[in-house]
Amino acid sequence: MTGREYAWKRRPGWWLRNRRYLMFQLREAGGVVCALYGLVLLNMLIQLRAGESAYTAFLNLLRTPPVLYLNIVLFALVVWHALTWFMLIGKAQPIQFTRQPLPWKVVFGINVLLWLGVSGAVVYLIFGGI
Amino acid sequence: MLLEPIFWSLFSLGGFITAFLFPVTLFLLFFAAPFHLWPTDPAAYSTFVGHWKEPLVRLFFFVLIGGSLFHGTHRLKFMLMDAGFKGRSAEAFLDIILNGVAIFGSLGALFYAVRGWLF
Amino acid sequence: MAASDVVFRVKRYRPESGGRPTFQDYRIPYRNDMVVLDGLNYIKDHLDPTLTFRWSCRMGICGSCGADVNGQPRLTCGTYVRDVRKGAVTVEPLSNFPILKDLVVDFDDFLRKLASVTPYIVRKDWGDLRKEYVQYPEDVEAYRQQSLCINCMLCYAACPVFGSSPEFVGPAASALALRYNRDTRDEGADARLAQLNTKMGVWECTFVGECSVVCPKDVDPAAAIQTLKFLATMRHMRRLLMPGSSSR
Repeated sequence: MTGREYAWKRRPGWWLRNRRYLMFQLREAGGVVCALYGLVLLNMLIQLRAGESAYTAFLNLLRTPPVLYLNIVLFALVVWHALTWFMLIGKAQPIQFTRQPLPWKVVFGINVLLWLGVSGAVVYLIFGGI
Repeated sequence: MLLEPIFWSLFSLGGFITAFLFPVTLFLLFFAAPFHLWPTDPAAYSTFVGHWKEPLVRLFFFVLIGGSLFHGTHRLKFMLMDAGFKGRSAEAFLDIILNGVAIFGSLGALFYAVRGWLF
Repeated sequence: MAASDVVFRVKRYRPESGGRPTFQDYRIPYRNDMVVLDGLNYIKDHLDPTLTFRWSCRMGICGSCGADVNGQPRLTCGTYVRDVRKGAVTVEPLSNFPILKDLVVDFDDFLRKLASVTPYIVRKDWGDLRKEYVQYPEDVEAYRQQSLCINCMLCYAACPVFGSSPEFVGPAASALALRYNRDTRDEGADARLAQLNTKMGVWECTFVGECSVVCPKDVDPAAAIQTLKFLATMRHMRRLLMPGSSSR
């Protein structure tokens, strides 16, 4: 064949092309933020060991306005990550009792209920109740 | 030997852990008190030190830290590779650094969880 | 512009001159029941015989006519112009593939990947070929969804991972691997899982899910890949922890 092929290159802003791609990138970012919070919690444990003033200083740092607002944004990403996880479970690991697997929306609903239950358990078992 | 299936399994486990446990935990520790959405401050030193005596609480935080680290570093690896950090040496570098952070972070969490309890 | 006209904005590329692809506009008569493929054929028949594109069955079963319509991978024979007619209808070749000419892309790479997953029944011993292999309805149901794949490659065009990692085995090849793994007549599951248990096999996938959104046959390749990740992991751990046991 004469002539040359035109090599295709993916555009840098590919994830802005449609809503689903954007939701995916936010979901991935939420996952990375979870690791960030993991390190924050680890540091909390380190400061807890170091003593009351060190621990309280770290906690206050996280609660002062600029850091607090950043925390709100990061927390929103963590919640989005959790919601998309519940949406994906139905597709990634189908649960099947009958001829067809359960629809993902049903699995999502079940997971949200489970999440409410688990959150309640965490409140009472880990944080000593209301 | 392909370690990817193992790290993916830890990533999946971490995903369940963070999805179910993180929202309520982060809310109580960092947002409940500053926005007066809870009668007490669950993160205040005196309160938290009391909870920290319980082995279940120590285990909870170990699982949370380990799970979130393995989950998030795995996602970060794929985000970085997607953004252009490609090739065998780049991937090997990311594998070592990111899984290293997850492993050492989890070991650190384990250490602080059992310190003051088992030794 | 008359209400009975529509503008098709089509990506052109001439391999003899090289350079970059450019858009060319064509104004064509509009009918309420026309599909994008009808528009392309009108252009070729009446306005510009040099326009080059693939098509065949015009009923959504051959998988030839894939293109990016208004930025979305679609079958041009299955896309009604009335549904995409917000201003001009933009028609481009499928994303993520090298362009041969106009709307025609080079998919040799996809065919290689398809071949790499042995997309046919593999048996050590075929026995008496005059006897039929019995399959119950539930056996067929196990692989029916993945068997609907028409190799149209819309899923590859939709997959951003394939867009930046051309060696990724991709959605359709993976779904078809699962189709044969789940077929009770097949004995090649272990070899296929070994093939997919690689960095450019299923592990490149980050479950974006767009492949399943664009699939015209509801094959759901995204779910197939996640299932394969799980199966590959189980096989991996079995081989690691119990090397002496049999593979299946």
